Amino acid sequence: MAATEGDQFLKQATGRNTRGLLRVIILCLIAGAAVSSRLFSVIRFESIIHEFDPWFNFRATKYLVQNGFYSFWDWFDDRTWHPLGRVTGGTLYPGLMVTSGVIYHLLRFLTLPVDIRNICVLLAPAFSGLTALATYLLTSEMVTSPSAGLLAAAFMGITPGYISRSVAGSYDNEAIAIFLLVFTFFLWIKAVKNGSVFWGALTALFYGYMVSAWGGYVFITNLLPLHAFVLICMGRYSPRLYVSYTSWYALGTLASMQIPFVGFLPIRSSEHMSALGVFGLLQIVAFVEFVRVQLPSKQFQTLLRALVVLIFVVSFGGLVLLTVTGVIAPWTGRFYSLWDTGYAKIHIPIIASVSEHQPTAWPAFFFDLSMMIWLFPAGVYMCFRSLTDEQVFIVIYAVLASYFAGVMVRLMLTLTPIVCVASAIAFSQILDTYLDVKTPKAESNENGTSDPAKVAASAILPDSLRSTRNPLVGIYSYASKLTVVGASAVYLMLFVLHCTWVTSNAYSSPSVVLASRLPDGSQHIIDDYREAYYWLRQNTADNAKIMSWWDYGYQIGGMADRPTLVDNNTWNNTHIATVGKAMSSREEVSYPIMRQHEVDYVLVVFGGLLGYSGDDINKFLWMVRIAEGIWPDEVKERNFFTPRGEYRVDDEATPTMRNSLMYKMSYYNYNSLFPAGQAQDRVRGSRLPAEGPQLSTIEEAFTSENWIIRIYKVKDLDNFGRDHQSAGAFDKGHKKKRASKRKGARVLRVE
Amino acid sequence: MRSATLFSGCIAALATLVSAELNISQPLLSRQVLPSIFKPPQVFKNVNLVRTTNLDKAYPRETINVIIENVDSAPQSEYYLPFESGLISRVGGLEVKDKKAPEQGVFKVEVVEYDTESPTEFYLIHLPTPLAPGAQQTLSITYSILSALSPVPSSIEQSAKQYLQYTFSAYVPSAYETLKQKTKLKFPNSDVPDYTSLSSSLNADSVADPQKQGSTFTYGPYSSIPAGASEPISVRYEFTKPLTHTSLLERDIEISHWGGNLAIEERYWLSNLGASLKNHFSRVEWQKTSYMSPATSALKALPIPLTPGALNPYFTDDIGNVSTSRFRTGARESHLELKPRYPVFGGWKYSFRIGWDADLSTYLRRLSTGPSYVLRVPFLEGPRMPEGISYSRIHVRIILPEGATNVQYQTAVPIVSSEVGLHNTFMDTIGRTVLSLHAINLVDDWRERELLVSYEYPWTAGFRKPVVFTVGMFAVFVTVWVVGSLDMRIGKAKKA
Repeated sequence: MAATEGDQFLKQATGRNTRGLLRVIILCLIAGAAVSSRLFSVIRFESIIHEFDPWFNFRATKYLVQNGFYSFWDWFDDRTWHPLGRVTGGTLYPGLMVTSGVIYHLLRFLTLPVDIRNICVLLAPAFSGLTALATYLLTSEMVTSPSAGLLAAAFMGITPGYISRSVAGSYDNEAIAIFLLVFTFFLWIKAVKNGSVFWGALTALFYGYMVSAWGGYVFITNLLPLHAFVLICMGRYSPRLYVSYTSWYALGTLASMQIPFVGFLPIRSSEHMSALGVFGLLQIVAFVEFVRVQLPSKQFQTLLRALVVLIFVVSFGGLVLLTVTGVIAPWTGRFYSLWDTGYAKIHIPIIASVSEHQPTAWPAFFFDLSMMIWLFPAGVYMCFRSLTDEQVFIVIYAVLASYFAGVMVRLMLTLTPIVCVASAIAFSQILDTYLDVKTPKAESNENGTSDPAKVAASAILPDSLRSTRNPLVGIYSYASKLTVVGASAVYLMLFVLHCTWVTSNAYSSPSVVLASRLPDGSQHIIDDYREAYYWLRQNTADNAKIMSWWDYGYQIGGMADRPTLVDNNTWNNTHIATVGKAMSSREEVSYPIMRQHEVDYVLVVFGGLLGYSGDDINKFLWMVRIAEGIWPDEVKERNFFTPRGEYRVDDEATPTMRNSLMYKMSYYNYNSLFPAGQAQDRVRGSRLPAEGPQLSTIEEAFTSENWIIRIYKVKDLDNFGRDHQSAGAFDKGHKKKRASKRKGARVLRVE
Repeated sequence: MRSATLFSGCIAALATLVSAELNISQPLLSRQVLPSIFKPPQVFKNVNLVRTTNLDKAYPRETINVIIENVDSAPQSEYYLPFESGLISRVGGLEVKDKKAPEQGVFKVEVVEYDTESPTEFYLIHLPTPLAPGAQQTLSITYSILSALSPVPSSIEQSAKQYLQYTFSAYVPSAYETLKQKTKLKFPNSDVPDYTSLSSSLNADSVADPQKQGSTFTYGPYSSIPAGASEPISVRYEFTKPLTHTSLLERDIEISHWGGNLAIEERYWLSNLGASLKNHFSRVEWQKTSYMSPATSALKALPIPLTPGALNPYFTDDIGNVSTSRFRTGARESHLELKPRYPVFGGWKYSFRIGWDADLSTYLRRLSTGPSYVLRVPFLEGPRMPEGISYSRIHVRIILPEGATNVQYQTAVPIVSSEVGLHNTFMDTIGRTVLSLHAINLVDDWRERELLVSYEYPWTAGFRKPVVFTVGMFAVFVTVWVVGSLDMRIGKAKKA
């Protein structure tokens, strides 16, 4: 007997071990798939940092690796926002850079001196593997079926919604933040389930890490309190909730305050108040629970009512008072734009000008989530059916994230994990149901002694009642099962195809390097950005100030290694507006501005020759709008439109448009490429005026091969103290214009 | 324990390296400091001297053929060759041979330096056999001068012709009396708008000075010029080609016995010393003229012939891959055609790195005696262009496998300094042995010269890496197992 028992035990153990091993192997394969599907850009192009923000992160990481942690912490960067500079160490989320730095030093310690660039490029794919693992853990906490976790991990690994921000080279905060988000949620669920300080503290630890990594931590800061609040409202208060929430809040808030950029925000800004409020509420509820045990119910009712009213009035009044006196910062503009999608467009054009802050278009959901978009509600519905504490979390998360994803394109990222989890729950339910080959035995078997409830029921109720008969309802024929399973398999395969296609076609372009096809089908690389940036890096003075629109600030800092006036940090709207004004004004107005800011070179992006639509003329209206926000009298958006309200660059362009510095710089010398009168702008699809613009205060210094980047040098002051217009006219042999005409041009005095 | 033995082994290896370094082949160039009042002893006389200055490349190359005669009563072997002190640091690749017997090889040459600010410095040529009194010998001295050409005018239009000016002395600087001498100048073409005309009274034949013959000018002959005489002249000629100059070239040659691979990486800091642009760069003009591909002072491409069998080339710079390169490979030749990101005009710079792999077996021979290997690689590769390229400094590093000892080298390139050190990279415990060689002022003519490196590499050293790696992994597993089996629970363990 003992021997057989031992055998049984062993068999089960090996069965469990085999399944565990299988699970580990599957997870490893999923992680492998997640990493490898993000490598398209490395294989097609090279190991390069993508887009805009990653270039700053890369530059900061290099600074961290070269100068050590403490000087990184105290980093004042005088090469950006000239002449203001930026307290970079205190205004960034250091988690990403520190993570890369730690990996770099760890690998060096293991005598693997991997280049920091390669670490940065491959960090996002590596963390996506971890995200898949975290999703598995989170899903496994939600449902008992282990296949749901594996499915969720697989979904998370390859879904385009997440890949869009984590391909190799997109070295952005989101690269590690999504992993931290999912893992923090897993730990939170674990803490709520077990009511353990240990898990609560771990949640706080990873929450702290998340705070150091991404501004999106506010999502956790509000979601966890909301979960706790909903649980309390559902009457599900328990000591477990109290323990996990308080340990998370206390430790997590302390941890988040260690980040200089966050500082005292957790106790002073409105976004964080819900966490504090729920913390207070939990204390009250706990106290009330304690009192309830001590007091008779009648007195308790009165006490409760008085207490609730009193506390509500006091705390709300306090909150209002603190907000009014300014101790607690009111909602920021970025936050308002989450509720009112039109808010940013009116009040903060700089936020609205970023394409990823636009509201999401419907097709984007299908594009990024494919079949999960219809599995997702099913999964949420299944959570409603049982609605345990952790499934409440899924429901709340799903509702909130769906809303936010609809408001802002980039918040699709926070929606993706929950979509993966929910649709995996739904999908695994389908598979679990239909993959079960066994047909349950007939009713005779069912009326056995196994289920005491049923036995009791059958004892009370007569057998003839239909509702109690509990017939064997279900689809048990192999054909139907095969159909459903087959269809599911097809869906899964289509999903994989879709994900791979989207990843390869939409999300794997570095955008620093453009690819085109030659007539013979071979790939041709258009490398104008780097050509111009490298020219700046090699052939200009080390501290030559470059003025460009803020989009290119980080790239100039990273690739050209030259000081810039404005960059993607956008912390100073006035400074950006100054650049916008310089770009959108006449030369006579722009020149003093540029001299005052010690600008040596001006860089513009022009796509007219190649048909590259992301150029500065297309972004020009944003410059005008942002400048108009500060100088409404000097820059007017209306003047850039024709009387019929068209935005034109051809013969019918308004004088304001044609005299603006941006227009002149874009089209300067452009028509000499074409036969007379044939100059064509391939982006706007319009024929340009026969006579090109003339420049007097700046001169062309460099133009890249396909004219995408044009660099102009700001002329020095004239030797004879003339303004540049009259100097140019004199050189051409024109008569000197009358002094009254020179009135508009102010000559800057420089001692 | 293991680390202790490793350490002592390392010390022993280093000790042998140090002792080995003392008796390695003598560098051809060394330095010697002379007292400030030094004047070369007048023991020689230049009977006849012909200097040929070749200006068809981006740097002047001079060849001095001189018949010297010992006028002293004792046999002499030290011949001094003077240069201006500013010039001597830019003279590169000075080689002296016996014109009559070139098979004797190059003579030993050293730079002799005053310790004070003296206008003249010397190269000291050691004749291999002392010259008997009254005997004559024909020396052939070749060298090139870097950064000696200056563009005049110093800034030109984008598609204008570029003119270079070369200033030198009509009398060849010499520490001895010269009985008869002349200088031939070879220009790349006959467009020589400006040159110094000397009065015919100086000329021994009393003819117009210089004599022109196509693109060749001849100054002289002059007779009985005393030691130290000089007659500055300058010529200005058309040279619409880039003056490509490399201020620093770092060349790493890494040997992997396990992979059977020779990896070469070169890092260039290039600049164009030609005339700068008068106005700024105009893309329109560049695109218009590029169809006709006229002569230009901009550097458009760098053709680099590699040794046949080169694999996996790459061409990158500080911000990533440069996509404008072509690699043609074949059984006979491998050709790497680099195109800089932008045309490098005068005054512009461009730095980049290239690298490639090669099969080690074509470069490495194992000697039959003991665990010794001999590596034969070109000391210098790099671009081969008609207009040439010059290098101010060249650092060559030969990264040998970990545990290689007794490193010796031999090369015909004048080496300024050399050292043997350690280099730590992927999965090294004690570091790889590195031989660093430094050379200065070389030009592309030297790219065929070979470098021979011999070293000892016992087979046990080859197993260091796998063994260390295995032991390391094993240690990790053991640690995990030990830590995992510790019972750190608070309270009593529950019985199963």
